[in-house]
Amino acid sequence: MRKPLINSLLPKTDHDHREYWKLNPGKFGRFGGKFVPETLITCLSLLEAEFNFVLQDTKFQEELSTALRDYVGRETPLYFAERLTDHYRNEKGEGPEIYLKREDLNHVGAHKINNAIGQAMIAKRMGRKSIVAATGAGQHGVATAAACAKLALDCTVFMGTADMEKQSSKVLLMKLLGAQVKAVDGCFKEASSEAIRNWVGNLEKSYYLTGTVVGPHPCPIMVREFQSIIGKETRKQAMEKWGGKPDVLLACVGSGSNALGLFHEFINDEDVRLIGVEAAGFGLDSGKHAATLAKGEVGVYHGAMSYLLQDEEGQILGTHSVGVGLEYPGVGPEISFLRDTGRAEFYTATDQEAVQAYQRLCRLEGIFPALEASHALAFLEKLCPTLPNGAKVVVNCSGGGDKDVDTVVNYRYNQ
Amino acid sequence: MAVATGSSSCCKLAKPCAFTTSNSSQSPFKLKKFTASPAKSTSIRCTIARDPVVPMEAKKESDPAPWQRPDVFGRFGRFGGKFVPETLMYALSELESALHKLADDRDFQEELSGILRDYVGRETPLYFAERLTEHYRRPNGGGPHIYLKREDLNHTGAHKINNAVGQALLAKRLGKTRIIAETGAGQHGVATATVCARFGLQCIVYMGAQDMERQALNVFRMRLLGAEVRAVHSGTATLKDATSEAIRDWVTNVETTHYILGSVAGPHPYPMMVRDFHAVIGKETRRQALEKWGGKPDVLIACVGGGSNAMGLFHEFVNDKDVRLIGVEAAGFGLDSGKHAATLSKGEVGVLHGALSYLLQDEDGQIIEPHSISAGLDYPGVGPEHSFLKDEGRAEYYNVTDDEALEAFKRSSRLEGIIPALETAHALAYLEKLCPTLADGTKVVVNFSGRGDKDVQTAIKYLQV
Repeated sequence: MRKPLINSLLPKTDHDHREYWKLNPGKFGRFGGKFVPETLITCLSLLEAEFNFVLQDTKFQEELSTALRDYVGRETPLYFAERLTDHYRNEKGEGPEIYLKREDLNHVGAHKINNAIGQAMIAKRMGRKSIVAATGAGQHGVATAAACAKLALDCTVFMGTADMEKQSSKVLLMKLLGAQVKAVDGCFKEASSEAIRNWVGNLEKSYYLTGTVVGPHPCPIMVREFQSIIGKETRKQAMEKWGGKPDVLLACVGSGSNALGLFHEFINDEDVRLIGVEAAGFGLDSGKHAATLAKGEVGVYHGAMSYLLQDEEGQILGTHSVGVGLEYPGVGPEISFLRDTGRAEFYTATDQEAVQAYQRLCRLEGIFPALEASHALAFLEKLCPTLPNGAKVVVNCSGGGDKDVDTVVNYRYNQ
Repeated sequence: MAVATGSSSCCKLAKPCAFTTSNSSQSPFKLKKFTASPAKSTSIRCTIARDPVVPMEAKKESDPAPWQRPDVFGRFGRFGGKFVPETLMYALSELESALHKLADDRDFQEELSGILRDYVGRETPLYFAERLTEHYRRPNGGGPHIYLKREDLNHTGAHKINNAVGQALLAKRLGKTRIIAETGAGQHGVATATVCARFGLQCIVYMGAQDMERQALNVFRMRLLGAEVRAVHSGTATLKDATSEAIRDWVTNVETTHYILGSVAGPHPYPMMVRDFHAVIGKETRRQALEKWGGKPDVLIACVGGGSNAMGLFHEFVNDKDVRLIGVEAAGFGLDSGKHAATLSKGEVGVLHGALSYLLQDEDGQIIEPHSISAGLDYPGVGPEHSFLKDEGRAEYYNVTDDEALEAFKRSSRLEGIIPALETAHALAYLEKLCPTLADGTKVVVNFSGRGDKDVQTAIKYLQV
């Protein structure tokens, strides 16, 4: 694919892109859009209409709230990490206060279920009987399978053979939950192509459940909207706990769903700093990483214009991270927009830093963070010394790390 | 454990009885062996009368309100007590006084509430299981309503953390800096290591060397959490030997060390303490039931190994005679196979781990090796309060086989997208027999005591998914 022409950037002060979005649905500045074949345009418009309807349908919202409360287990706590905070105190006893937004406590152990349950409910409303999804790390596949079981929907999950080997326990979970798991040669990008192909062949009866804030409009908005419960709760809890707002929000970024889920509520609060942390794998210069915003260029991938890791010919580059959920070679268009406008800052953490952060949280707080979330925790090492005393930092603990114990074992063994 | 009743004297409750260790999963006490009869191997059964013990008849009309649960001696009726060597009496008395003080200590209660809310993730939902309810609907459209109390959503994935957190906080208040525990499969060890990391307490978990090999991942988890896992090589290098070591440690270091017991078994005040830390389950359920349907549950069901999750749900409702309490034990390969853990169905009264209760013992008082597909129910004894509730007829106890539990495991996963722990699956399995007997609209609350990620490998083998 040839390199696209670069449109002019929006002025850096224009942060209220929510207004911008209303005028230009599906666009975040130059990012986003609907780069799809004609066959899908009608379908996406239908989805958009349905989504707009449920957004203000009281009955749907009530059912969703009940499902989030009783099935998923929300609201998740905003937990004051006392020992982690102590760890970052300097010799004078000063330092920021670290809070963890405990998405690891959700049903099936990560933030992914917030979106899966919401979309499965939309699918049911639309009269669709079967759900199709693609998964890389497996978390989205498990969340989708669980939601489908609960709502009596058929579920087919496409997964790359390379991923199935690495995530065999997730495959078992999906099967136990009643989903069909179809193997596709390759990894996530092949699996998603196959899933979409399958969906296009059966547009009337099936529903493609996207797992993250990528893809053609309205997918990024939809997923972000379902995940935004994270930020909404955080605002309320911050007010209850210290009578104010967070100073810094910190989240790992693969494609960006957990980050946007936390950030979205605070985008118009200029005094709240938004920090995303990508995977630097073996290091940014090693060629083995997944740091799209640090090393990528703008292009179209999976139906949306955004940053992506591509070579000179526009071929998608392979990625690597010890946190498999961060291995997506692209990033959500809204994330790209937040970066270019300067509203959010993006950094990276290596595999080694993430594994160290994993172990640190286990030891100090008795919480296993997902290796993905560990990237956000790793950045605290660089961030905390720069923050004023008493700054309130909220880290999105986007998932639980029980699933990663053997990865950490192997990593330490290989060191 | 049996004392050969060749001699005519009774075993008085006040004197500690020496008894052998058992092969059980939660056994804090090993004392020196007591040989009563040269022909038999060393074992003791403590009987309170010369004649064989006959379980009391179920007294369905008795009023639970005046029951002392427990009384000042730590007894639930005739069950419970403090059958321990002198060296441990001080530690137990200290614990008991601390508990009494802390019940009224507002700071402690607030701190505990805060931890339960922000660390553990309480309150857990009372979830209406729509598809399970539909599954049990009769052809005429009637049937009970099934609710699941979601203890699986707690931090660490089971109810165990409620008690671990409470005991760790208590230990800190007592000025203890060391925590010890023993573990078989590793679940209790991990829960203990978790709270020790949270509170900055030194944690030592004793584990049989054989078990350490079989549960390498759990060992690693405990070490990641900062706990020291001490391998025990003596005996068969499994749980009972780990228990002996843990006791030896506690007896030696009783001033600095607190022993975190994982269930409602053991000597007073442990059954009461562990129950009280889990009682939040029942308290929340009462409030949530009132919010959801403006009434109380009609039936409470929980699996029973040692009995902690069941007591946690039941305790709040024991005095509500219109609420039925049902415990479900593990029948393993079947009650007649000899390979089960159905203590209340097949056991007899004796002393195990410092308390008088039902236990699985043979004619010589030797502990029968229990079996269940689920490690957490694989206990040859049961908490003394359960023994009491059974004999009073206040609670009913049934059992389900491994196969029935596996079916229920699959059913919950497929119909609700919630994978239960194999222990929990026993409670769910009993719904098959129970629901056809219940009136339309009966409100049934099942204690969903843990999630089943840990059991996926086991289940897959059997279920051929």
